[in-house]
This record gives sequence, C-alpha cells and structure tokens, in this order.
Amino acid sequence: MYSDLLHALPEVFALTNFIAVIIGVLAGIVVGAMPGLSATMAISVLVPFTFGLEPLVALGLMAGIYNGAMYGGAIPAVLLRIPGTPAAVATTFDGYPMAQKGQGGFALQVAVVSSSIGGIASAFALMLLAPPLSKVTLLFGPAEVFWVAVFGLASIIFLLGGNPVKGLISACFGVFVSVIGSDPIYGNDRFTFGQLELLDGINIVILLVGLYALPPVIDLLETPLKTDSVEGEKLGTEPIWKALPKMKGYWKTWLRGSFIGIWIGILPGAGGSMAAFMSYNEARRSSKKPDDWGKGEPEGVAAAETANNADTASALIPALTLGIPGTAVAAVMLGGLLVHGLQPGPMLFRDNPDVVFGFMWQFLFGAILLVLLGGSLATNSFARLLNLPRPLLGSIIIVLMLIGVYSIHGRMFDVYMMLGFGAVGWVMDKLKFPLPPVVLGLILGAFAEENLRLALRIGRGDWAVLFKNTTSLVLVALTVAVVVGPMIKRRFIDSRKKEGEA
Amino acid sequence: MSEGQKNRFLRPETLSAVGILVVAAGFLIPTTDLRSISALLPAAMLIGLIILSLLLLLSDQRKASAGEAAEKVTNSPKRVIGAFCLIVAYAVASDMIGFYISTVIAVPTVAYVFGFRNPLGLAIATAIVVGSIWLIFDFGMSQDFPTGRLWQN
Repeated sequence: MYSDLLHALPEVFALTNFIAVIIGVLAGIVVGAMPGLSATMAISVLVPFTFGLEPLVALGLMAGIYNGAMYGGAIPAVLLRIPGTPAAVATTFDGYPMAQKGQGGFALQVAVVSSSIGGIASAFALMLLAPPLSKVTLLFGPAEVFWVAVFGLASIIFLLGGNPVKGLISACFGVFVSVIGSDPIYGNDRFTFGQLELLDGINIVILLVGLYALPPVIDLLETPLKTDSVEGEKLGTEPIWKALPKMKGYWKTWLRGSFIGIWIGILPGAGGSMAAFMSYNEARRSSKKPDDWGKGEPEGVAAAETANNADTASALIPALTLGIPGTAVAAVMLGGLLVHGLQPGPMLFRDNPDVVFGFMWQFLFGAILLVLLGGSLATNSFARLLNLPRPLLGSIIIVLMLIGVYSIHGRMFDVYMMLGFGAVGWVMDKLKFPLPPVVLGLILGAFAEENLRLALRIGRGDWAVLFKNTTSLVLVALTVAVVVGPMIKRRFIDSRKKEGEA
Repeated sequence: MSEGQKNRFLRPETLSAVGILVVAAGFLIPTTDLRSISALLPAAMLIGLIILSLLLLLSDQRKASAGEAAEKVTNSPKRVIGAFCLIVAYAVASDMIGFYISTVIAVPTVAYVFGFRNPLGLAIATAIVVGSIWLIFDFGMSQDFPTGRLWQN
C-alpha cells in the first residue's frame, strides 16, 4: 500500500518539481503576508497558469503556496495586529504584544518553526491515512459514488456552520452550473442558448477565479489599509539557530496543536481558524501561567501557528480519497487537480499514484522548506512586504486574472463570464453565502449525475438500486446524520441555555 | 439610516432572494424541452433554488418585521461600483483596443483612482508589470493576447 509512496519520491526531487515547491512557499508567504489576500485566492489565480505545466510542477506550486500562506498570515498578525489570513487571528493575541515589547522577530521565528512542525505532522497524516482510505473507496460502484457525492455536498453545507439555507442555495447554484453544456449521455445542449463556447460546459477555473479572486481585489480597492509603518530593522531578529533552543519547552504545545489541526482538517467545513482557536485555548488551559497569555506569551503563537498549519495537508485526506474537501483551499485545489485531468476520488490513487503520492511528498518538503525560507533567510524582508501600496497590488492582480482566464481557451468570452461569476461571488461573500459549496457543487454535480444515471441504467430505471447494498445505506445514514446532527446539537444547546436561564 | 434600509423590500437579502427566484424560474422554462432524464438534475436544482429563495425571503421579511436591521453589504458603495466598473472597462478595452494598450492605461489608472498617487512609482510599476508580462508570457511562453477588435475591423 505504501510502496507507491516510496516510488513517487525520486520524481519529487527532479529539479523543476523541487524548484516549484520553493517558489510556491515563497509566493505563499508573500500572499499570506498581505492582509486581504489568501491562499485560496492565490491558488485560484495560479491555477490557469499551470495548464501547460507538468502536474507535479503545478501541484508543487499549490502545496508550497498553501504551506507558505498559512505562515505568511502570521507576519501582519504579529507586526500590525492584522491577521493576513483568517487562520492567523489567534496569532495576534500574543504575537502583537510580543512585537510591542520588541520581540517581533522572535515571535515570527516561533511562528515559522511552529508552522513548519504543524505542516510536517499534517503531511505525515496525509501519507498514512489517505492510502488505506482510498483502498476502501475503490470498491465503490456508481450508486455508492453517487452517495459519496451527496454526502460530500451535505457535509460541506451543514458542517460549515452558518445558515443552512444559504449553504443549500450555494450548492444548488454550483450543481446547476455543472450541468450547463452538452448532456454527457445524449449529447443534447443544456442551457447553452446557442453559445458554442458553453458546449463543453463551464471550466472550473473560470468559476474559481471569479468567486475567489475578484471579491478580495474589490475589497482591496474598497478599503486600502495603511500598512506603511513596518520597519524590518526594528524587529530584533537573531539567527534562527540561536532562537531554536529557546523554543525547546514548546514540544507539548506543538504535539497538541498538531493533533487538533489534523483532526479539524479532516472534518469537512471546519478550517484553519477553528483549529488555531481550539489549539490556543487548550494550550492556555493547560499552561502553568494562564494569566500571562494575551500579554506576549510565545507559546500562544506556537499553539495557534502549529494548528493552522497542521490543518493544511490533512484537509486533503477527504478531498483526495472521497472528493470532499475539508476547507475552501482544498476545494480550490480539487479544481487544480481537475485542470490536469486528475479526478479527485477513489480512482485517483489507482490511476495516478505517482502524481498523488508525489503531491504528498511536496506537502512535506514545503513544510520543511518553510523554516529555511520563511525563518532564517528572510523574516525581515517579508515584513517589508507590508509596505507595498495595496491599490497597485489590486491593479496587478486584475491583470493576472485576465491573463489567466484568457489563456485557458484564448477567448474573451471566458473573461466576461469570470467577471459575471465575480459579481455573483462578491454579493454571495457580502451576504454570507458560503462559497465552498459552489465549487464542490460544480465538481461533484456532473460526477454525481453521471453516476446516478449509470446506476439507474444498471438498475433498468429502478430507483431502488440506489439503496440496494450496505455501503449505500451506510452513506445514506451518514448523510442523514450530517444533515440532522447539527440541528439536534443546536436544539440541545438552546434547551440547555434555557434551563440555565431558568 | 438610508432610505433603502428603511424599506423592508429593499433589504439586500430580500433583493437577492427575489433575484435568485426570478433567474431560477427563467432557467426552468428551457428544461421543458429536454428529455426527462436530462432535465432531472437541472430541474431539481432550479426548483430547489426557488424553494430555498422563498425560505430566505420569508426569513428576511420576518427579521424586518421584528425590527432587525439589515446587514450592511458595503461601507463605501461608490468605491465598490467604481472598482467593478474599472475592471469591466479594462476587460472591454482589452477586447476592443488590445491587451497591451489597455494594460498600460489600466494599471496606473486603477492604482491612482484608489489612492496610490506617486507618479514615478506608477510609471515604474507599470513598466515593470507590462515588461514582465511581455517577457514571461509573450516572449517566453508564446502566449497570445487580445489584439483588439477595432484594429481587426
């Protein structure tokens, strides 16, 4: 089972593949350090540029960006009290007070080492857990695959929190977009309105760039933050090998944060910010000096950063094996895999072991490289990134979006469609409609339809075929549990609150 | 409080629910021409959208009746509309007059309009961006860009 993992290793060390991870980590740190930009947005903008690249080069860039951005978010969190990414909110609690005491450099070093440790633990979890899970899912037939798709959508809608009606609207929108184009079996046009450009359906990259890249750019231009007060020289950074001995007491926090991050990452819909908060709270609870927390306790930075990086690769466990992403970034990464003809899900491990296992190694190396690139080389330089004028940054991203989308098919129609999705995405974002169900709906919609129709053909039109075997029934039960579970939990909490008030 | 927020039917969530309802109903019409199996999933999704948007509408109107304030969508609508219009104008300009000319105009214009007003900085940034695009995409990757419909005609 794990022999494929070792076979994939030499390919990862090929020069171009390795350089891709290095560039990805650096780019990720830059993106994460810019408040308002996120790993999701960076990967969305990047995906169209990877069309012509080898899959492992493209995936190496993505893995590097994901790892780098999760640490990069700590830079403005520590220096400006502005989290670069949502997952870095908990880092501000102790990181910023440390910077005010003149320990900003040490706070960033704790952040980079902790991020790296969390990332390494997460990559190992992905390597150990994904292969056996994929073996199980290989046994699935069309009916089971259909239910996996339904379960995936249900879990991201109902476990994401927020308003389930809005989640369902997002998912229905995504699934509807997935059916635009030629019917996969009969070939008749659906909702193309005579546009030849729509015959092949809507490319996922157009949707990704529209939904995830345009709204942050508009936000960037709407409220340009003043971030020109950071001076790298005043951080008080010393070489990382001198700082490492000061961190030896954090091993329990690193271990706890890694477990929490991995667990939260596997759960669909939770995400890095929840992992960071949970890890921070647990570390504070078990600390001997809980009163020092929030006033510049380095272990607080370690707890938050370990967990938000431990969430990265583990979010890909359900994504790669079942096609169900744990986070928005994982959903975008699924889109990146599709661009290279890699359908996430049970068949991925059987059909493309070199690529999928290579991708896992890239996650591991990305996490290791984080210390070298983000810590010892350039903590001060990255801090200076915050001085870049944000309106200029916005205008450059707009140009990159246009180039990326235009380059898919070499036509402006796609650019206009991306702008349309961008407008929809901005409204959805502001009205708190979750975006991951749209992406998952687009990925799983066509997949679910194809398998549903295949199952119905096998069953000669009898819908009972969908419920005929145990695996299907287990998946149906899980789907019902995912839908009903949060409702029961909410009622339970409400009734306890009422009891408490009484 | 603005007029728009006072009127319960102009609440952003109500407007978006009505928008979803109308668009979904509009898309439902072509499904009647499809084979039943081809129409199954799209029709299910569209009907789902109609029902869900009705639920959203009702819940938002209930909130309005209870006197709950509508969520603010943006702090500066003019800047948002301006940003979106500039992005659309840039795309249309690329289509009409060509990618390079419109990029040379758009990069400094967007940055200037939204607050970065250092002329030297703008000139250097534009030169670096356009030069890098030409070097990487045009020269290095032989990527074609829109040349402009106006010149073609």
